[in-house]
Amino acid sequence: MAQAAGFGAGDDAGFSLDRALMRVADGDRAAFDALYHRTSAKLFGVTLRILPLRHEAEEVLQDIYLSVWRRAATFDPARGSAMTWLITLARNRAVDRLRGTGRRLTDPIELADAVADPAPDAETLAIAGDDAGRLGQCLDRLDAGDARLIRTAFFDGASYAELAERTARPLGTIKSRIRRALIGLRECLA
Amino acid sequence: MTTTRSDHDDDDLLAAELALGLLDPADAARATARLASDPDFARAHDRWLTYAAGLTASVPETAPPPQVWAAIADALPANDDAPATGWLARAGVWQAATLAASLAALVMGFAVWQRSAPPPVPNVVAPAAAPPLVAVLSGTAGVVSVAYDPGSGRLASVVSGIADPARAVELWVIPADGRPRSLGLLARDRPGWRVAPGSAAQALRAGVVLAVSLEPAGGSPTGLPTGPVILTGKLQQAG
Repeated sequence: MAQAAGFGAGDDAGFSLDRALMRVADGDRAAFDALYHRTSAKLFGVTLRILPLRHEAEEVLQDIYLSVWRRAATFDPARGSAMTWLITLARNRAVDRLRGTGRRLTDPIELADAVADPAPDAETLAIAGDDAGRLGQCLDRLDAGDARLIRTAFFDGASYAELAERTARPLGTIKSRIRRALIGLRECLA
Repeated sequence: MTTTRSDHDDDDLLAAELALGLLDPADAARATARLASDPDFARAHDRWLTYAAGLTASVPETAPPPQVWAAIADALPANDDAPATGWLARAGVWQAATLAASLAALVMGFAVWQRSAPPPVPNVVAPAAAPPLVAVLSGTAGVVSVAYDPGSGRLASVVSGIADPARAVELWVIPADGRPRSLGLLARDRPGWRVAPGSAAQALRAGVVLAVSLEPAGGSPTGLPTGPVILTGKLQQAG
């Protein structure tokens, strides 16, 4: 995570997102303020990636953080990091909005290797931490079309059926292709 | 252990498919139900959620504009337990109308303050802008007054007399095409501000219908009202 403005007495190194989120669960507004200012650029980036219209992304970001405030008590650090919890909530909210408004993304997905993906640069991955860095490397090892399918599922909320439609491939073909890719990812990440 | 390696692998794949959103709604519902009763499956799902969140590493960070935080802070419950809810809850539509007029004054006042600061300018006169619009929404339970300043895009609201604390109070504008656009969640225990979201703000003009529905915590998951519409009212020019 990128460093952000100081928290409390400027004890930046001692800041723990997990602890902040648990304090938010207790209704601590200062912790919520600090959490927002450390994570909103990340979550707004994610929201904008899913909902490119700025005003819509801003509105959904408001609702995301109001949900963070109300649902912080459901965060369990034993199950994953606060950042994963926040990103999951943001992604689900943004995808719900995308799909709830009846929009269906139908842009064709090109499976050929030749199409360039905006690959994350090394610096971004280093900032994002080891897990994300490893995921990036593992995605790079996949066939480019497979990596694109996995990203599209996540960012467009596209199910197997929609991916099949958008790639003009039979459902069974797409399913087995993605499952193979997921097995590859799992082996690489293990 | 009777679980075979391939069962285990299949479960892990299913957890991945659920975490990435690949399943169709019926399969996703079945898999979600399993999370509560199958700790191994839940752990696999948690692990894949962490991987999935890692997909966002390539997404550039973008600082949201400051009004987003302002709107969030405004929508949080107040720190003090002011007895405002008590008298607001008893206020009828007539009082709410007065309140809407006061809100309109407030929303204009705020717009002037916002334009003039910084630096502070003495004797600020509001530029000739579109007049504020107000609405008093009434119906089966409670009253909501709303004021909207087209100049600043700010929307002020006061909610009174809506019980059902488990559900969120969501405001909608219903333009001529009949498709509701969300104006967001309303703070129910004190007056709230927010910048009207762009898509919905375009529909805010005199004569348009506003509605309030009760939604799950966090607001309608679909972008359209999913709960009962309990209040409606028309937006009109103030005074």
